[in-house]
Amino acid sequence: MLLPEIPLQPLERGQLNVMRLTGAIGFGVATVVAAIPSWALSHSWEWLPVWAAPLAVALCGVWSLAFTKRRWARWGWAWTGRELHVAWGWLIRSHTIVPAARVQHIDVTQGPIERIFGVSTLILHTAGTANSEVNLPGISRETAEEIRDAIRAHLSSDPW
Amino acid sequence: MSGDVNDEVSEQASDVEDRGPRRVHPGTIAIDFLRRAPQTVIGLPAIAGWTSGRSIGWILLAATLLGVGMLVFTWIGWRRFTYTITEHELVIERGLLNRSRRSIPLTRIQDVSIERKPLARLFGLAEVKVETGGGEKDEAVLDSVSVAEAERLRAALRGQTSSSTIVSSAEGDAESSEASALPIIFQMSLARVVLLGMFSFSLVWIAALFGVLQFFDQFIDFGLDRARDWAEVAKDQVQARFSIAAVLAVAGLALTLGVVSGVIRTTLRDYGFTLRAGGGRFRRTRGLLTRSEVVVAMRRIQLAMVQRGPLRGAFGWNALSFQTLGGSDDPSGRQAMAPLARDDEVAAIVETAGLPPFERLPLRPVAAGHVLRSLLRAAPVPVAVAVAALVVTPLAWIGMLALLPIVGIALLQRRYHRYALRDTSLQVMRGVIAQRDWIVPYQNVQVVTLRAGWFQRRLGLASVLVDTAGASGYLSPDVVDLATPDARELAAGLVARIG
Repeated sequence: MLLPEIPLQPLERGQLNVMRLTGAIGFGVATVVAAIPSWALSHSWEWLPVWAAPLAVALCGVWSLAFTKRRWARWGWAWTGRELHVAWGWLIRSHTIVPAARVQHIDVTQGPIERIFGVSTLILHTAGTANSEVNLPGISRETAEEIRDAIRAHLSSDPW
Repeated sequence: MSGDVNDEVSEQASDVEDRGPRRVHPGTIAIDFLRRAPQTVIGLPAIAGWTSGRSIGWILLAATLLGVGMLVFTWIGWRRFTYTITEHELVIERGLLNRSRRSIPLTRIQDVSIERKPLARLFGLAEVKVETGGGEKDEAVLDSVSVAEAERLRAALRGQTSSSTIVSSAEGDAESSEASALPIIFQMSLARVVLLGMFSFSLVWIAALFGVLQFFDQFIDFGLDRARDWAEVAKDQVQARFSIAAVLAVAGLALTLGVVSGVIRTTLRDYGFTLRAGGGRFRRTRGLLTRSEVVVAMRRIQLAMVQRGPLRGAFGWNALSFQTLGGSDDPSGRQAMAPLARDDEVAAIVETAGLPPFERLPLRPVAAGHVLRSLLRAAPVPVAVAVAALVVTPLAWIGMLALLPIVGIALLQRRYHRYALRDTSLQVMRGVIAQRDWIVPYQNVQVVTLRAGWFQRRLGLASVLVDTAGASGYLSPDVVDLATPDARELAAGLVARIG
């Protein structure tokens, strides 16, 4: 907790499933793809079993999936009425504060997997460079739209 | 297909109210052709002819055909490129097969800069660059128009009445009459430009010369791969003396070349550096062969950064740059306002820009853990290199001496990393060898991020990253390694002041 005075809300449970499913799909694809060079290399190096590289990738996937819940639990957000707080990160913890007056425009997006589990992502665009896009994934569509409408009320035409 | 309409539009039409599409100056065709001719028209046929062993006549014929073809293509490209200034936007249409139409709302235009390269000067033309706040550089380049048209464009794109500012400067000076009427607030004499050049000698020459040395190591008998042999025969006094003399000679040569090239490069870029201010804008002109003019609107200035290099800082010289939104010819969005200036000159420019002065006294240092983190960040690589070198030669112990300054600098990091929330701005200083001061008005802080890595949490530290518009990178006014409560206070204080 980098800013304990701001009580953070957790992401929706659905986001945990989204993270697990996208992770599983990603590592599944990577496992299959890893089989191609592994198969090609096993022709020249006879001692290399074909399944070595895919297995390594798959093990990474299992390890990553095991930690998904911890990563999910590290996310938190708060809308104070003046600024949006987004905290995330397991090894390196970050807590980003976006003042509503600095937001340029706002997107609410929902990918196919997010739609299955009923969550969406709020994206705030600012004029900044390192953090020109602040993402808040894993909130319900209603919440995202509520925050968006609240921030929209703060938008000034010329933030500079 | 707007070609039919365009035919009637005279290129030289100078009436300001003209709303029809215009083309850039036809002289551009010649410039473009001349610019590319050496490689394509002459180079390609020459290489092709030479390698296939053909006669000079064949080469000339091929060059002529290629030249005509290129001229035709350049002409088509010129014909298809039109620009229009309407009441609300600048529209640029281009392309033969892929017609593209880009409209830039006039209110979004941040900077209009005029650049005159040597070839363009020959034809009395100028290149007009239009920048908006977007990330990509040079969103619209009009290459090239007559000087009068360039000034008309600049006036029109800024929404001013342009009739008063159109002046044809036939002398080929990039400075417009409007500009030269403004008061000069900073200027660099030739002596100071040369001094700046001497400070900015490039170490590239040293690397290059040692590379050459490596290449000829058979003759000089000194090189890294021979270091082991060399160490064995080090007892041989003559050999050793010769090598040391050679190294000293090469180092001296590299230093001289570095200084000379630095002076030449800097003089080409910064000759006649003049900064004028007025009407809410800074106007900077500089350059010997390519005279460039950049306009920086004061309200687009995001922050000021004062930089002191290792050598020039010791002599009391500063470099001032402004980070602007939609920077001009500077790819990073940082504009050099005074490359070599005294404290009072910097303060005067900062004041003109409407920024609060930088005050060192009220600043407070970051947490003591910063020393440890700096040390852990700086030391491992040199130590590893020295240990690895020990395997090759025991003389690498000498290399360990190089660790002393590294450790010393790390120990000083905290002393030079200070910050404060002032009345209207965040002020940060950071860096030991290259010292930097930042003045960031609160209204230009975009996003504030608290960050703590694993090791930082063990030490009870956190960093406050301050995101601003215009430019990114390690030159951002971040406050690194604060005690966690201080970091919280700083982040909360910053956000509260943004409002």
